Amino acid sequence: MDPVQRAILRADPRLSKFDPLPRILFFDNFTTGMSGWNVLLGNYTESLDRRLPEYKLMTTPMLSNVTHWDGGTHGALDGSYAMKIATRPIRLAQTVALKRLTFPKACPIQLETWFTFKPEASELKLSELDVRSIGFIFDVQDQARRVLPQIRYLNAMDGKPAHRWQYKDKCIPFSDVGEKTVSVFHYGEEYWEDVPGGEQRLCYNEIPTKINWHYVKVGWDLRTMRFTTLQCNDRVFDISHLGGIEIKAMPNLWNLFNVILSVGTDVDKRAFAYFDSILVSGDWE
Amino acid sequence: MTIREAYTAVIAQAETWKGAAATEPYEAAWAGEAVVFLRLLKKGKGNLRNVRVRVQISPDGMHWADEGAALRIPADETKVTFCRVTNFGHYLRLAATLPRGAECQVLATLSLKA
Repeated sequence: MDPVQRAILRADPRLSKFDPLPRILFFDNFTTGMSGWNVLLGNYTESLDRRLPEYKLMTTPMLSNVTHWDGGTHGALDGSYAMKIATRPIRLAQTVALKRLTFPKACPIQLETWFTFKPEASELKLSELDVRSIGFIFDVQDQARRVLPQIRYLNAMDGKPAHRWQYKDKCIPFSDVGEKTVSVFHYGEEYWEDVPGGEQRLCYNEIPTKINWHYVKVGWDLRTMRFTTLQCNDRVFDISHLGGIEIKAMPNLWNLFNVILSVGTDVDKRAFAYFDSILVSGDWE
Repeated sequence: MTIREAYTAVIAQAETWKGAAATEPYEAAWAGEAVVFLRLLKKGKGNLRNVRVRVQISPDGMHWADEGAALRIPADETKVTFCRVTNFGHYLRLAATLPRGAECQVLATLSLKA
């Protein structure tokens, strides 16, 4: 990035906390609306009943000002509103929200977001092990293959602290959901592997209704179909040797580029993930 | 010109209601008005004619009060019912109590506007 562009970015208080690649594809801070984010709708034909069961549990994202019963409105990091995704109060339920686009050119791309996560404050307990995971995922396809690079922060598993980053490069088989359409729930608990050296403790705070925003950056190269970087706050993890789930290119998904966020609960309680702002950038001419 | 933000949230996506049913909490503090729409996705079972689907509001997503607005379950899959709500609290949801033996699969949406 040239010095002038860098200086301009650094001078903008909304962008200064990001470290984008030279071209910003989108920047959403949810103060003016939902900006194109929606619930992941499981594939189906003929009837919504044909969706796989895990997709039926997903709920629509919300514009939230992060209000709690005891402390009132927490607000976002920048402005009042953040995007919130919420699971149902069912152990291992997940909710996924995404923004769908196509990539203009195969190049390095990067997701950055300021986020936080909390369980619903339905108990007057610390509840720090109630949220299972929060995921940062792409779904891309070139002329030969569809690739799903998946990263998650595993906060807790079966009531025990996990506090580490994981990736996934294998997938269960696809299911036929009728006519020409297939589906797979690739967000499930199978095949997750630890990112080497990926242990990290995040700030949970001291009660369920106090939140602190965290920075994360996930980079991917659409030319090599490999990760470029993973950073969360002051920790940088070398994941440049890692890839995602790879399958043969599918019809109707050419140049697919979906940016995907997920949250999962470890207990029969709603888990919430909040995103103050999301910036996706690339390096193309 | 600033366009008023609008967002349609599907709060019951082919969910089956029987007995005491409620949608998941939906935060809508930013919205000044909402139109609630309800559709049946397949023919219902039992007597649904007198079921009152209540709009509920909540300050925290955990404690709910009837707002006063209500709508009926549509007579069949070709119909849609609705009600309008303004000046609501932080969260919205729908709640209904179906009589014994009654069951239906619904699609409920909130059409929210700033």
